Amino acid sequence: MGVNVPDSLKYTKTHEWVRIGDNSRAKVGITDFAQHEITDIVHIELPEIGKQIKKGQPVAVIESVKSAFDIYAPLSGKIISANDSTLEIPEIVNKSPYGDGYLFTIEFDDEKEIEKLLSADDYKKLI
Amino acid sequence: MKKLLNELSTECCPAYSLESDVGIDAQVPENLKRSLSFNLPNVAESDLLRHFTNLSRKNYALSTTFYPLGSCTMKYNPLINERIAKFDNFTKLHPYQNLETIQGVLEIMYGLEKDLCEISGMDCFSLQQAAGAHGEFASLLIIAKYFKSIKQKRTKIIVPDSAHGTNSASAVFAGFEIVPLKSESNGSILPEKLKEILTPEIAAIMLTVPNTLGTFEKNIPEISRIVHENGSLLYYDGANLNAVIGVVRPGDMGFDIMHINLHKTFSTPHGGGGPGSGPVGVKVFLEPFLPVPRIERKGTEFILNYEKPESIGRLKAFLGNFSVILKAYVYIKSLGAKGLKNVSEQAVLNANYMLARFRDKINVPAGNRCMHEFVLAPKALYKNSVRTLDIAKRLLDCGYYAPTVYFPLIVEEAIMIEPTETESKETLDAFVDTLIKIIVDETLLDPQKLKDAPVNTNVGRLNEVEAARNPVLRWK
Amino acid sequence: MNYTSQNQKDKKEMLDTIGIRDVDELFDVIPKDLLKVRELNVAGGKTEQELLSYFSDIASKNKVLTSFRGAGVYDHFVPSLVGEIIGRSEFWTAYTPYQAEASQGTLQMIFEYQSLICALTGLDTSNASLYDAATAVAEAALLALRVSKKNKILISSGLHPEYMQVVKTYLKNSVAELVFLDICCDGTVEKESLDSNLDKNTAAVIIQSPNYFGIVEDMQTLSIISKKENSLFVAVINPLSLGVFKTPGEYNADIAVGEGQVLGSFMNMGGSTFGFMVVKKALEWKMPGRIVGQTIDKHGNRGFVLTLQSREQHVRREKATSNICTNASLNALAGCVFLSGWGDCGFKKLAEINISKARYAFNKIKSLEGFKPKFGKDKVFFNEFVIETQKDVNRINDVLLENKILGPLDLSTHCSTLTALGLPETQENFKNCLLFCVTEQRTKCEIDELARILYKI
Repeated sequence: MGVNVPDSLKYTKTHEWVRIGDNSRAKVGITDFAQHEITDIVHIELPEIGKQIKKGQPVAVIESVKSAFDIYAPLSGKIISANDSTLEIPEIVNKSPYGDGYLFTIEFDDEKEIEKLLSADDYKKLI
Repeated sequence: MKKLLNELSTECCPAYSLESDVGIDAQVPENLKRSLSFNLPNVAESDLLRHFTNLSRKNYALSTTFYPLGSCTMKYNPLINERIAKFDNFTKLHPYQNLETIQGVLEIMYGLEKDLCEISGMDCFSLQQAAGAHGEFASLLIIAKYFKSIKQKRTKIIVPDSAHGTNSASAVFAGFEIVPLKSESNGSILPEKLKEILTPEIAAIMLTVPNTLGTFEKNIPEISRIVHENGSLLYYDGANLNAVIGVVRPGDMGFDIMHINLHKTFSTPHGGGGPGSGPVGVKVFLEPFLPVPRIERKGTEFILNYEKPESIGRLKAFLGNFSVILKAYVYIKSLGAKGLKNVSEQAVLNANYMLARFRDKINVPAGNRCMHEFVLAPKALYKNSVRTLDIAKRLLDCGYYAPTVYFPLIVEEAIMIEPTETESKETLDAFVDTLIKIIVDETLLDPQKLKDAPVNTNVGRLNEVEAARNPVLRWK
Repeated sequence: MNYTSQNQKDKKEMLDTIGIRDVDELFDVIPKDLLKVRELNVAGGKTEQELLSYFSDIASKNKVLTSFRGAGVYDHFVPSLVGEIIGRSEFWTAYTPYQAEASQGTLQMIFEYQSLICALTGLDTSNASLYDAATAVAEAALLALRVSKKNKILISSGLHPEYMQVVKTYLKNSVAELVFLDICCDGTVEKESLDSNLDKNTAAVIIQSPNYFGIVEDMQTLSIISKKENSLFVAVINPLSLGVFKTPGEYNADIAVGEGQVLGSFMNMGGSTFGFMVVKKALEWKMPGRIVGQTIDKHGNRGFVLTLQSREQHVRREKATSNICTNASLNALAGCVFLSGWGDCGFKKLAEINISKARYAFNKIKSLEGFKPKFGKDKVFFNEFVIETQKDVNRINDVLLENKILGPLDLSTHCSTLTALGLPETQENFKNCLLFCVTEQRTKCEIDELARILYKI
């Protein structure tokens, strides 16, 4: 399967991607592989802004017609923004999982947690 | 083009009308008055009759076709049940009538409770719950209350991964946490594995026997022993009771509490999704916790007892779905002990016969024998990106309702078949031939036909993704 | 009776195919000591004819009475068409419509039902039905707790006491706090009580109108007060009353629930009936129960499917919005056929006749010596009203029963019922109080007769 795994991102075993930005901020979404497995996404629930989250905790839900998938926090910290356009048009997560279809932004607490995330190569091996 | 009611609406005289013999005196203050327009359809009775009759003809139903839905027990719904349930002396009763004017109702409810006790080996039953999931919920509340009464803090329920989704949902609804238990490939539970997760926090384990793969849990005596040694309770999900009536009794197997679906095992119709009834049976030590009121006999008279201080309370207004309870009781009286045993024997024979006809052609993960239902795992035979969904839709074209598909979750691309006792060998043979032809031949030779299916139904394959992404949930 | 259809020859062939000699061998997998040896002690084996006579005998121990009793279940007119349609075996012998293409009858019916409930209530999204009103109120409370993440629920003491009990049972193991709002001397919920109990922790305010005593509440005002703390306003309504009275949509309710029995189901001892739930659009993904949506097939034809299913137990398991699956589809079908045959004017008139007849009876009874309205003569009520009497309440109902009349509900035990439930007493004392119910089914003649008997007692 020709799924896209950009080298510039970090990954989790539960198929989230993380783009580390400035000021301890990170953007989070689901991988191309995950959106492919989930198939047509019909509904999304995003975390509230300001919510404190712990790494590994379920924070969002992505739903297809007959399944629902939990999305786990890749890092501990605070939710500082959520991509509301995915609520209106959930299919953008299918179309652009690394772009317009990202899910939320975290302000993370501990930089050390980043080291534990998977590299693109590691993630490719996993899938 | 089939129309919706609002599209049929005209300036005609509507179907129903009433007159008042005391005149109209219905002025109400402005602040309480409706000003919103109604937009109710205005349709003549003749057109409504046609509309709804034509709608009914767009359903596959048990009265028109074989309906082998696994775990749903789509058995024949005897007409005499319906006829008796339509008696004025049952339908036109108010639940708050004086007890001396509803003794017949109470006699039936009392009688059904007693018969269910005998059939299940439990000591007491409550008939108040309106469906299977409602019965599960009541049972879990009873379990919680019981442990509270003996001052033990038990907050978790074990649910096998092969269980119906309602088990987990009901347990969480009742305030418990779920501890999942991985079952074997034939759906059974290994006592060793169970032991590993049996902590002092476990209140109960919910088991479906036979399990959702149609296998009898042969380790049940051992499971019962270790569960009780742990101080936990054993819960019987009665969804599959149709396999074992008159053969074994949950009460004798060590179960402490259970629910029954009258709309499965006891022939009351499913009604397109209810009404149902979900009686809860318990061993005597759990009786104080059953919902109120309890029906009791005092001499020749039946009474309602509300004085149950330890009861979990009330689960539904009034006494339960009496109309459903009545039909189940008629069914039991029509069969009696011999007839009931025959039900399970025949249901199991029918399922095993079908299984025997499939077993050389299609993989059956639970082995060569089953109880009243079985699961096919046809994935290895699928060519040309055919999926179980396509098989199901193709069956519709062949005039059959499709079996349960993609359940249990532990079998990939599962097809779950429950024939029930009321189907003839001829019907079973025809269905088996059709399904083998579709899975073995058509997936290979004519996959497009499967992808295009159904073509013989009123509509083609429907776009469920669009329905969920842009919900249109009412006429506009 | 025997509903199986295998003859001996078939049976033999089937056993041969399986590779066994006897049906008993099918149960070999069951441990020997579990297999029951004795036959069940269950009487039966009756023929159809015997069943008819057996159950006619039992039925004769019940009495059909002329009903002046309501309190949640009402004797209303059921048009012939309702019986004809719900009697179609294509509807009553079908399962939940999982295979959409083979279930368009049930699915379109539910869609029509949802549309009619929305039109009636003025709210956005209806589900396919719940078990009954009591469980619908409980589900509404749970929905509010889930959405708001707050934990206090305010409930009017004018809610049907059995609904209160069910809410209490459903919320037993949750952290939610239930607070019951007082009823004041005019029979309506006390606005000060609502105001003083409302706080930022209040998830929902649940008010029944017409309330248990038949009185129509000022829902507009109650809704406005509730919104001060952004609490959800839950209206528990009698759908027939909406022919005349303000709709939940108009007074900005977030959720409306109620009993569907009045829409085309007989009283049936109070079951089966159906409960309905209808919500604002923002809540639809959080709603319990089945929902049907419109879509298209691959040729572009309109069709209907179960939708928003990832809320439900068969997908979401322990994270589902509710555990409900079987609901009350056939009763909802009765509701759908019932609501489709009146037209706007006819439905309004139906409600007006109910009001008129109840008022006629009220005026007759309050003019009798020894009977006076409990809550003043000007309160607006729907089918029901409370009368305080100086006469012997038990004797009243005994005499009425001798005349084949189901008399009013004796409310004298109402307070003690509440106390027994651990619920707060209302300020009002209901000693010697009678809850009368008059629907469009009661004729002038029957009402006059009722008054005549009351007068003579």
